[in-house]
Amino acid sequence: MAAGFREGFVEADGFRIRYREAGEGPALVHLHGAGGLRLTPAHELLSRKYRVVAFEMPGFGASAENTRTRDMAELARTMAAAAGALGLDRFNLMGTSFGGKAALWLGLQQPERVLALVLESPAAIRPPDAAPPAGTPEDMARRLFAHPERQPPLPAVDPQQAAKQAAFVRRVFGPPRDPDLEARLPGLAPPTLVLFGTRDAMIPPDIGHLYKELIPDCHLVFIYDAGHAIAAERPEAFTEVVSDFLDRHDAFVVSRTPTVIHP
Amino acid sequence: MQVSYFETGRYYAPSNLPRQWPMPAGAYDRAAGLRAFRGMVERSRYVEELGFDWVSVSEHHYSPRILTPSLPIAAAYIAQHVHTIKIALLGPIVPQSNPVLLAEEMAMLDTMTEGRLIVGMLRGTTNEMLTYDLNPEESRERTDEGMELILRAWKEPQPFGWQGRHFHYRTVSVWPKPLQQPLPPLYALGTSREASDFAARNHIGLGVSFGPFEAMGKVTGYYKGECARWGWQPEPHQIIYRANILIAETDEKAQQALAQYPRQAVFPLKDEVAAALLELDQRNVAGEGRRPANVNRALPINFCGGPDEIVAQLKEARERIGCGVVDLSFQTPGSDDPDALMDALELFGTKVLPHIRDI
Repeated sequence: MAAGFREGFVEADGFRIRYREAGEGPALVHLHGAGGLRLTPAHELLSRKYRVVAFEMPGFGASAENTRTRDMAELARTMAAAAGALGLDRFNLMGTSFGGKAALWLGLQQPERVLALVLESPAAIRPPDAAPPAGTPEDMARRLFAHPERQPPLPAVDPQQAAKQAAFVRRVFGPPRDPDLEARLPGLAPPTLVLFGTRDAMIPPDIGHLYKELIPDCHLVFIYDAGHAIAAERPEAFTEVVSDFLDRHDAFVVSRTPTVIHP
Repeated sequence: MQVSYFETGRYYAPSNLPRQWPMPAGAYDRAAGLRAFRGMVERSRYVEELGFDWVSVSEHHYSPRILTPSLPIAAAYIAQHVHTIKIALLGPIVPQSNPVLLAEEMAMLDTMTEGRLIVGMLRGTTNEMLTYDLNPEESRERTDEGMELILRAWKEPQPFGWQGRHFHYRTVSVWPKPLQQPLPPLYALGTSREASDFAARNHIGLGVSFGPFEAMGKVTGYYKGECARWGWQPEPHQIIYRANILIAETDEKAQQALAQYPRQAVFPLKDEVAAALLELDQRNVAGEGRRPANVNRALPINFCGGPDEIVAQLKEARERIGCGVVDLSFQTPGSDDPDALMDALELFGTKVLPHIRDI
C-alpha cells in the first residue's frame, strides 16, 4: 500500500523529522494520529493527484523521546517549520485524530500557508472518558475499525515505543474540551472539511456538528460504515470526498456527477 | 397488548383479473379504485372507534392486492380523517427510496399527526425489487445504509454530507424535524440477522411478520440477545408481529373460510423471473441458514378461529414471540363483500380487543 512512497528526513525546530512522500501536484501535508505514522490505501490514492507528504511528528516512531514540545500549538509550529524546510510555502493540510488538533493549530497560526484543512476523525473535541487505543494489535483494531475482520492485521508495536508515544500524547494533548483552542476556532480562516465515520468507536460522530458550530467555513461529512480509521477502511470514499473538497472548497457541494445513462 | 389494523386499500375488482404480477395497468377500474380509497377512510375511522391502537399502511406496487405505493400520501389521507389512533408506516421500502426524502416526509407526517406517527423501515418483498429496477443483491446493504441515513438526518443539528456506499449527498439538513422527541417510535422490519443487528445497535424496535410463532420467537430472542450486548432491553411494545388473521363467529366458520384461502400467491411472477429473483435474494432467519425469499407463495394465516380461540392464540403469540403489538391483516377468503371485512373488524373489536389489553 505504501508503494511509491519514499522516505526522507528534514531538520526543523531542532528535530530530525521523518516523512514519507509520493506524487506530484498540489502539496498535501498529513499529520498522523496518536498511534503514529501509518500509510493507508488512501495515501496512495491521493498521491495520484497530490504531492503527499506524510510527516512522522517528533516523539513518534523511531524518533527520540520528545520531552521538549510543550503543547499542541508548539507541535503545530514545528510541523509548519518542517513543511517550510521542504519548500512547501502553501499546502493543503490533513490531520488525523490527534493530528487533527495539531492541524487546527497550524491553520490558526499560519492561515496564509494553509490552502484547505481536512480533519479525519479529529480528536480536538473528545468525550471526557476518551482514550487513545492501546493494548494488543487486536485490541487496537477493535477500537479503530468498524470491520477489523476486513483489515490486514495491525503490526505489533514495540512496547517501549508505544509507551513513549502515549506519554507524549498525554502530556501535550490538552483537555477533551480545550477552551484555548475553541476560543480561537471562530477565527479559523482556511476552508475546513471534517470527516467522521458513522461507526467511530473512539470519538462519537455525534459530536461532529460542534466543529461546524465553531468554525466559520466548515463542512461536515459522514463516511458511512467506517470506524475511526476512515482512510484505512473506506479509502475510495475518503479519497473522493477529500480530493473534491481540496479542488473545489465550498463549491464541492455542487454535484458534477453525470446521471446520463445512455446519451 | 396493542393492536394495529393493517389497511391495504382493499380493491374489490368488478371482473376477474389476470393472475400475474405486475398487474397490467389497463385492468385497473377507476370506480373500484375510488371505492378502495373511500373504504380506507371508512375502515380507519371504524377501527379508531372500536379502540384499535394503530392503523398501519405498507408500501407495495403494481398490484391491486395492496393499493398504497406511496405511504406518505396514504398516511396523510388517513390522518386527515381520524383523530386519536396512531398512524404506522410499516413500512416504506428503504432500499428503493431516497432516504433523505423519506426522512423529510416522515417528519412532516409526525408533525401533521401531532406526534402520532410510528415508523417501520422495510427492505421489501422480493417482487418489489422489479418496481424501480433494484438489484436484489444490493437490497440488504441499501436498506441498512438508508436506515442509518434516515436516523442521522433526523438527529443532526447542522447541515452534513453523506459519503455512503449506495447513497451520496453533500448537503442534508432536514426541515421539519419529527415532533416526537427524541424521535418517533422506530422499528426495523424483518426477520434477518441484519435487521436485528441494526435495531439493537440503534436502540430501536423490531417488527417481524407472517412467520410461525416458533420461528418468530427465535428472531426476537436473537434480537433481545443483541440488545443486551449493546446494553439495553426492548420493551414489549418495541416488538411488532405482523400477521394474517381470519376471525369468524365460531371456530367452525373460521375453518370453513380457511379452506377457501389460496395456497399460492394470487398474483404470481413469471417462473423465470421468480427463479432469477430467488437466485439473487437469499434471506435468513436470525442468521440461521440461508433460505429463499418468499416468491409466489401465499402468506399463511397466523391467527384463525372464533373470538375465544383468537384470544388464546394472541396470548400464545405474546408469550412465544414477546410481541407487545400485533399488526393484523384481516382476511375474508371467499368473500368480495366489503361488509365481510367490516364484520370481521367489529367482531375483533368487540369480542377480542377487550380481552387482550392486559396480556
